[in-house]
Amino acid sequence: MSTVELTESHAVDTHVHHDEHGHHDHHQSFISKYIFSTDHKMISKQYLITGIIMGCFGMGMSLLFRMQLAWPDETFPMFESLLGKWGKGGKLDPNYYMALVTIHGTIMVFYVLTAGLSGTFSNLLIPLQVGARDMASPFMNMLSYWFFFLSSVVLMSSFLVETGPASSGWTVYPPLSALEKAMPGSGLGTTLWLSAIILFIVSALLGGINYIVTVLNMRTKGMSMNRLPLTIWAFMLTAILGLLSFPVLLGAGLLLIFDRSFGTSFYLSDIHLNGVGALTNSGGSPVLYQHLFWFLGHPEVYIILMPALGISSEVISTNARKPIFGYTAMIISLIGISFLSFIVWGHHMFITGMNPFLGTMFMYVTLIIAVPSAVKTFNYLATLWKGNIRFTTGMLFAIGLVSFFISGGLTGIYLGNAALDIQLHDSYFVVAHFHLVMGSAAIFGMFAGIYHWFPKMFGRMMNKTLGTLHFWLTFISGYLVFFPMHFMGLAGVPRRYYQFSLIPEFDIWMDVNVFITVAAFLGGIAQLFFLYNFFYSIFKGKKATQNPWESNTLEWTTPVEHIHGNWPGEIPTVYRGPHEYSRPDRESDFFPQNDPGNGEPEHYHAPAVVDNSYSGPKEKPSKVFFSSFAYLFMLKKA
Amino acid sequence: MNSTYKQCFKIAFFAVILLVTVFSINQSVDFSGLKIDQLTAEKPLFGADEYQYEAPPANPDENALSSKVNWALLIFSILLVLVIANTLDISKYIAKITGKETTDQNQVNRWIMLIFMIVGLAAVIWEYRVHGKLILLNNSASVHGADYDSMFSITLLLTSIVFFATQFLLFWFAFSYSYKDGKKALYYSHNNKLEVFWTIIPSIVLTILVLRGHQTWKSVVYAEESYTGKIHKIEVFAYQFGWKARYAGDDGILGNTDYKFISGKNELGLAYGPEVDLLLTELQEKIAQDEQNIKNADMTLASLMNDYNAANDVKDYVAMESVQKQIDDVKSGSYVDELKASIKRKTKQIERIKAIKENPAIFASTFTSAAEDDIITQEIHLAKDSIVTFNFRSKDIIHSAWLPHFRAQMNVVPGMPTKFTFVPNKSTAEAKKEFGEEFEYYLYCNKICGSSHYNMKLKVVVESQKEVNEWLKTQQPAFKKQEVVPAINTEAPANPTDTTQKIVFN
Repeated sequence: MSTVELTESHAVDTHVHHDEHGHHDHHQSFISKYIFSTDHKMISKQYLITGIIMGCFGMGMSLLFRMQLAWPDETFPMFESLLGKWGKGGKLDPNYYMALVTIHGTIMVFYVLTAGLSGTFSNLLIPLQVGARDMASPFMNMLSYWFFFLSSVVLMSSFLVETGPASSGWTVYPPLSALEKAMPGSGLGTTLWLSAIILFIVSALLGGINYIVTVLNMRTKGMSMNRLPLTIWAFMLTAILGLLSFPVLLGAGLLLIFDRSFGTSFYLSDIHLNGVGALTNSGGSPVLYQHLFWFLGHPEVYIILMPALGISSEVISTNARKPIFGYTAMIISLIGISFLSFIVWGHHMFITGMNPFLGTMFMYVTLIIAVPSAVKTFNYLATLWKGNIRFTTGMLFAIGLVSFFISGGLTGIYLGNAALDIQLHDSYFVVAHFHLVMGSAAIFGMFAGIYHWFPKMFGRMMNKTLGTLHFWLTFISGYLVFFPMHFMGLAGVPRRYYQFSLIPEFDIWMDVNVFITVAAFLGGIAQLFFLYNFFYSIFKGKKATQNPWESNTLEWTTPVEHIHGNWPGEIPTVYRGPHEYSRPDRESDFFPQNDPGNGEPEHYHAPAVVDNSYSGPKEKPSKVFFSSFAYLFMLKKA
Repeated sequence: MNSTYKQCFKIAFFAVILLVTVFSINQSVDFSGLKIDQLTAEKPLFGADEYQYEAPPANPDENALSSKVNWALLIFSILLVLVIANTLDISKYIAKITGKETTDQNQVNRWIMLIFMIVGLAAVIWEYRVHGKLILLNNSASVHGADYDSMFSITLLLTSIVFFATQFLLFWFAFSYSYKDGKKALYYSHNNKLEVFWTIIPSIVLTILVLRGHQTWKSVVYAEESYTGKIHKIEVFAYQFGWKARYAGDDGILGNTDYKFISGKNELGLAYGPEVDLLLTELQEKIAQDEQNIKNADMTLASLMNDYNAANDVKDYVAMESVQKQIDDVKSGSYVDELKASIKRKTKQIERIKAIKENPAIFASTFTSAAEDDIITQEIHLAKDSIVTFNFRSKDIIHSAWLPHFRAQMNVVPGMPTKFTFVPNKSTAEAKKEFGEEFEYYLYCNKICGSSHYNMKLKVVVESQKEVNEWLKTQQPAFKKQEVVPAINTEAPANPTDTTQKIVFN
C-alpha cells in the first residue's frame, strides 16, 4: 500500500508544482524552449536529431570505405575533393581507411545507437509512459544532452586534425592507440577520441541515473512495476547497465591517457618501435585494457539492443492487437540478459593469450545468454500468432528487428563458442554477426520507435508509403550487405583489411565485395527517403490524432500539442497492464491503462484474481516476483 | 479479394516491363569491367618491401561466379521493382480515374512479407550452395582442424534448422494474421507450459554445444600437453609490418631474446654478446649526436629558415608547408623536447642492458650460446605430421597470427609470450591438388596494426621432414660463421613504415 501512497503524494506534489509555474509556459524564449530546454520532450527531439545527423556521417563513412573495398584499384576523384590529402589522386590512404572504420564504429555504437536510441526514447517515453510531469532532474537531463552534443563536436573535430582521426579500430587497443609513432591517427586524433568518449560517458551517466530514478520514484498512481510497459523495463535496465559499466570505460580511458601523455606503463611493455627505438615502458599489459574495455564493451551491446527490444515489444503488441506473449518471461529475460552481460566480456578475448581456463568459463556463460534471447524471440513469434496485424511502418520495422535478431543472434552461438572462435575471431563472420544483431536490429528498433512515436514527438504523421518504401529497401539491403559476409569470414577473409587485391586467395570474393557495396548504396539511398519523410513531416505532415495507433499506454492520453508538465489536468491513474488488447469482454480491441472500465478484471483469463488494488501478498506468482523485485529496490517497506 | 488479385496482376505487369528493362540493361552493361583481372600488376604503394607481387592468373571459374552475381543482381532488381511498384500505389491513381476503391497497404505489405520470405529463404539456400562451397570446412590442414570442422558442422546444422524455422514462422504469421476489419485477435497473454518448453529446449541444445565446444577448446589450447612426441618449437616474430620465423639451429635450442637488444643488425633482439656490445656503442653515439643537435638547435632553425626562403622563392608550397612545420617544431621547443626524450630513452636502455651484463648470474643465463646458430627466415617450413609449437613474440604492438587453413589463431602481444600448438597433416603439395596450383598456405595478420595491416603475411610451407631440413640448410644462421662487421650501420633498417609515413606527411 505504501507504494500507492508514495506515488500518489508525489503526483500531487508535481501537480501543484506544475500549477505554480504553469504561466511561465508562454514566456519561454527561443533559447530556453529549443536550445537549453529542460523539457524531456524537447531534449528527446534534440537527441534524435543529433543522432540522425551523426548517423548520416557514420553511414556516409561506411559507403566511402565500401567503395575502397569494392574497387581497390579504381581512383575516385571524389575522395580527393572530400578528404584532401588523404585521398590524393583519388586513392584512399590506408591510414584514413582505418580512421573511417574507427570513427564509423564509434559513431554508430556510441553516438547513434546508444545516445540516439536510448537518449531519444528514454527521454520521451519514461515520463510519458510512467505518468510523470518530467524527469526527476530536468536540469541534469539538459546537461546530459549538452555533454553529448559537445562530445559529438569533439569527435567530429578530429577530422580537422592534420594527422587524422583515431584509427586503431573502435576498440582503440593499445599499444597501437597509445603510441603516437605507431600510426598517424594515434596522435592528436586519439586524444580527441578519448576526450570525446569521456564527455560521452559523463552524458551517459547523467542521463542514466535520471532514467532510473524517474522510473522507480515517479510512477503515477496505480503504475506498479508489473504494469510498466516493456519499453520502460528495457530503458531502466539499460540505464543500470550503463551506470555500472561506463565508469569502467572511463577508468580504461584515463589509464590510456596516462600512458599516452604522462609516461606510465599500464598497457605498455617491451616495445621497440620503428623510428623511435626501445621504449622504457615495462611491466604493463595490453590485455588489461582489453579486459577493462570489454567490461563495458559487452554490456554496451545490450545497452544498444535492449531499448530496441523494448520498443519492438511495445510496437508489436500494439499493432498485432494482442497482449505481448509472456510479459513476465520477457522481463525475466531482460533481467537475465542484463545480469549475464556483465560476466561474458571474455568472449571477445578468447585468443588474446589469456588463460585458456578463463576461456572455458566465458564460453559457458556466453552460451547461457542465448537462452533468454531465444525466449524473447519465441515470445515475439507467439505474439504475432493469431493476431490482427496492422502493418504500420513502425510494425514493419519491429518485424524486421525480430528477423535480424534471429539471424544475427544465431551466429552468436558460433562466436561465443571458444573453440569456434579460434578460427572466426576478427574475420568477416564477426562483422556480419554484429552488424545484424547489434547494428541492423538496433537501428530497426530505432526506426520502429521513430515511426511509432513520431506523432507524439511532432504532432504529425509520417508518410506511410515512403515509410514502407524505406523499410523494404533498408531491410533488403541489410540482408544483401551482411549475409554474404558470413561466407567471406568462413572462407578466411580477415576484417579491417584495406584491400584484398594483394592476396590472390581472396580474389574470388571481389565480385561479392562489389555486390555488397552496391547493396550498401541501395541502403544509403533508402535512408534518403527516410530523411525526406522525417524532415518534411515535421513541418508539413498530416496532423496527428491523439491516439493514432489505438494504443493502451499513457503517452497517448496527453494532448497532441506539447505542454510543459505533459497533462493539462491531473495525471491519469492506471488500472491495469499496458497490453490489454482484444479482450473478449470488451467491445473495442484496446483498453487504455487509464480507463477505469466497468469492473472488468485486470487480466481477462484469470477471473480468480479479481483485485484491482493489486497489493497484498496473496497474489499470483508473477506479482510475488515483482513485489520481491521492487523490495530489492527498496520501494516497499517490509 | 477480387481486387487483390487484380492488384497482383497489375503489379506483375509492371514488374515484367521493368524486368525486361533491367535485363536489357544487364545485357548491355559490361559488369565484367568490375572484375579483378584489371588489377595493376605493380608493386603495392604501401607495404613490405620484400613482397613480390604477381598478377593473378585468370581463373575460368571467375566468369561463372560473376555471371551468378549478375543473376543475383537481376533477381534483386526484380524484388526492388516489385517493392517500388507496390508501395508507390500505382493503383491509387488508376482508382482515381476509374473510381474504384484504392489499395489496402496492409494487403500489399502482407504479400511482400510472403514474397520476401520465399525469395529470401531461396536466396539463403542459393548462398549455402554457391558460397557455401568456398568456405573452409572439411578441408583442414591440421589434426585438430578435423575436430574443429565437426564442431562447426554441428553448430551449422542446429542453427540452420532454427534459422529456417523461426524466419518461416515470423513471416508466415505476418502474412497469415494481417488485419481484417471486424476480426479480433486472440487474447492470449501467456502459457507457462509453452514458455518452460521453449526455455528448456534451447538450454538442452546449448548444453550439447557447450560440452562439445569445451572438449574441442581443451584439445586445442592444451595440445602441448596432450600430444606425445618431439615438439618442434618455432618462434614467430611480428612487427610493423611483417613476420619473421626463428628456428633453433643445430643445438636445437632457441636462444634468449630481449626487446632491448633489437638493433638494425639484430632485428629480433637475440642475446648475442658481440651484437649487443655494438648496440651499446651505437646508442652512445646516438646520444652524443642528439646532444649535439640540441646545442645546434639555433643553427638548425637558421638553416630551416634558409630552406623556407629558398622554397618561397620558387613558390614550392608543398616544401614550404613541410619546412614550416619543422620550423614550428623547433620554435615551440618540441624539437628539443623530442631529442631530450630520445636521450632519456637511450640512457635508460643502456642502463638496463648494463644491469644485465653486470650481474653475473643474469648474464650467464641470458647470454647463452644458443642464440648464435638460430636461423631467422622469411618463410615457415613445417614437417607434415610433426608437432609444432609457435611461440609468438611482438616487437611493437598487438598483431594476430591467423592460419585459416590450419584453424589456428593467436594474438601476438608485446610483453606477453603466447603460443599455439598444432599438427599440420596436409602438405602444400596435397593442398595444391585440392585448391589449385597457385595455392599456398599463409599466415595473416588479423589484428589491426597500422597502415599496411592488409599486406602483412607470411608464407607457410608444409612438406616432409627431409625437405624441411634441406631448406633449413640453405638458410643462414643469425650470427655463427659470420665475421664481425667492422663498420656499424647506424641507419635504421629499411622498413615500410618509413616509406608510408613519407608518403603520408609530405
